[in-house]
Amino acid sequence: MKVNLDINNRIYETYIDADEALLGVLRKLGYKSVKKGCDTGACGVCSVLIDGKPTLSCQFLAARAEGHKITTVEGLGKDADEIVDAIVSEGADQCGYCGPSLVLTTYAMKKELKNPTIEKIKHYLAGNLCRCSGFEGQLRGIKRYMGVK
Amino acid sequence: MRFEKFVKPRKIETALKILKDDPGSVILGGTTFLRLSDKKYSTAIDLADLDLDYIIENEDNIEIGAYTSLRTIEKDPIINKHFGDLLPKAVEHIIGVQFRNNAKIGGAVFGRLGFSEIITALLVLDCKLQFEENGTIPFAEFISNWNIKRDILKKIVIKKNQGKCLYRMLRTSDADFPILSVAVSNFDEIKISVGTRPSIAKLSQEAARMINSDNSKIIEASNLIVKEFTFGDDMRASGKYREKIAPVLVSRALQEVLS
Ligand SMILES: Cc1cc2nc3c(=O)[nH]c(=O)nc-3n(C[C@H](O)[C@H](O)[C@H](O)COP(=O)(O)OP(=O)(O)OC[C@H]3O[C@@H](n4cnc5c(N)ncnc54)[C@H](O)[C@@H]3O)c2cc1C
Ligand code: FES
Ligand code: FES
Repeated sequence: MKVNLDINNRIYETYIDADEALLGVLRKLGYKSVKKGCDTGACGVCSVLIDGKPTLSCQFLAARAEGHKITTVEGLGKDADEIVDAIVSEGADQCGYCGPSLVLTTYAMKKELKNPTIEKIKHYLAGNLCRCSGFEGQLRGIKRYMGVK
Repeated sequence: MRFEKFVKPRKIETALKILKDDPGSVILGGTTFLRLSDKKYSTAIDLADLDLDYIIENEDNIEIGAYTSLRTIEKDPIINKHFGDLLPKAVEHIIGVQFRNNAKIGGAVFGRLGFSEIITALLVLDCKLQFEENGTIPFAEFISNWNIKRDILKKIVIKKNQGKCLYRMLRTSDADFPILSVAVSNFDEIKISVGTRPSIAKLSQEAARMINSDNSKIIEASNLIVKEFTFGDDMRASGKYREKIAPVLVSRALQEVLS
């Protein structure tokens, strides 16, 4: 079926299978920051923003994405750089596979959390799994970015 | 899940007609659970255009549209005002924010999953379900009866009651299923539900009767839970372990609602 998708403020007219998940469509369109991990909703590496809300693209049907604003880390520009710098300055990234989804979710978290605390940050990021870093370095960087002591 | 055709009706009557006319069709919630199966359907019916995403308060009830996300419920001030943290606590560990932004309450209820924390919590509220074809059905009746298989859940109607209610669970890892879940309310009478045993949540009869007849019998009533319910084994815990945990969670919850 034919759909029009608004990805990072650019409209794509594209053909999809009716039952295709957004994840595969984004990768076919060149958005390789969106990763495939578990494909069952458990790891978070496929996260994108749908109308500003972090959402798992492995579970979200592409057919349903029409009429919504989709943002991947490629669309964050300088906002992404700031979060990446905070994480990298702690030497936290290793393979980097979880990185784009962590950056995107952190960006949404900053907009959503009114009074961030370390507990709230950990809770917000509970759906972002990393298999290399042990989370501590990433959390130090994100804490600083969020202005939490 | 596989399907050939995706439809997005603008009227609920149209959605029900497609569901009834085509036995191979399926209603889509957030597809978080549906996506895990290999089942093949002919038509997938999306409810996104049916205005079922809302939480409203009227004089006697809170109404939650079936297409409302678990994340909306977790953060909603009306829900918090009337039922404290019962529902937020029941959903806040389901994977992560990204999952809960997409999973809907309609799917969580209609799926009648054994490990469902939301079902454990909703059982202790005075709660009814409104379906397009079958009309209004008490929540507990729907959960224990599998007769309704092909209908559209429109909303969940919860009576505003005075009193305390709370949800407690034990899980070993943040985003994993719980080992056991318990909810207790104290409105007109005390209700206790125990879920993730690992089978679907159920209301207690005997322990509830004992604690309602004598509020001081917290330990005795909590110990009755082990006789009243069956507890099974799964990869997370043994039935024997669950038998030890259940009275502890129930007695703590009872102490809190009675304090
Ligand atoms: C990886 C994973 C981990 C999970 N962990 C937990 C956990 O820890 N605790 C917990 O409680 N739950 C857990 N769940 C279950 C989760 O809560 C459900 O998957 C989710 O709530 C289902 O919502 P959905 O909108 O995605 O439903 P869907 O998957 O879209 O639908 C589920 C069922 O409901 C039907 N349906 C949906 N909406 C309606 C409607 N309005 N009317 C009629 N039928 C409808 C569908 O046809 C389908 O049969 C987990 C699920 C997954 C996939
Ligand atoms: S690939 Fe989507 S949650 Fe793991
Ligand atoms: S750095 Fe490798 S998965 Fe996170």
